[in-house]
Amino acid sequence: MKGRVLIADDAAFMRQMIRDILEAEGLEVVGEAVDGVEAVEAFEQLHPDLVTMDIVMPRCSGIDAVKRILALDPGARIVMCSALGQETLVMEAVQAGAKDFIVKPFKPESVGVTLKKVLEKSE
Amino acid sequence: MDLAKYRALFLEEATDHLGEISRALLLLEKDPASRDAIDLVFRMAHSIKSMAASLGYDGIAELSHKLEDRMDRVRSAGRVAPGEETALLFRGLQALERMVATVEQTGEAPPADPDLARELARGGDAPGDDGLKKKALTSSLLRRSRRP
Repeated sequence: MKGRVLIADDAAFMRQMIRDILEAEGLEVVGEAVDGVEAVEAFEQLHPDLVTMDIVMPRCSGIDAVKRILALDPGARIVMCSALGQETLVMEAVQAGAKDFIVKPFKPESVGVTLKKVLEKSE
Repeated sequence: MDLAKYRALFLEEATDHLGEISRALLLLEKDPASRDAIDLVFRMAHSIKSMAASLGYDGIAELSHKLEDRMDRVRSAGRVAPGEETALLFRGLQALERMVATVEQTGEAPPADPDLARELARGGDAPGDDGLKKKALTSSLLRRSRRP
């Protein structure tokens, strides 16, 4: 699987875990963002093929960042990183235009299947 | 998975987050309606929950989840109830500090104190229409998280 990915998550632990999973799948991590504002700025600069977006982040939430990124690029491919207990927020993000979601704690195989599906669907 | 690498990251970040929670709770003692402090405790508890769940530290994940849910209700109420609720949040913080210290010392996380978990969960609402929708999506999320 090929693709350039931006990771947005306020926790260094989660960014590292996602990076390891993506790189094992052959994807290139082109940037990391620690909040929604950085995610939007990094998207504008890097034009990644896909963004993994945490929901709960400081300054600007993942959902607001999805809306801002899609306003810049309606074709942007964003996958939400959700946790149990965030079901309403996941629904809101998908309604806002996120393509799919992955659930913490991550199962690497399931993350790979979801990202591959999103990357292939839009090619 | 390189457990040693992730455990070190967890200990560093969880300790930092617990320090942030402590400072925010001290602020909430003085200003129970501080939105920034309420949001920060919610966010830090959420982050600890996700990290702990990723490493199989179920007790820490459970207690931090209860603290996160409690802070969600505090957020809806707009303020922490001074006195008993503030004391309960501090007890949650202290319990998490002890559990993280145990991970550092032994590599294993102890189970959550069931009485404390129950107290943090007290005051929850019965699910209405929105709650039922959430339950349906929870089932979907669970299926996805269990997918091989």
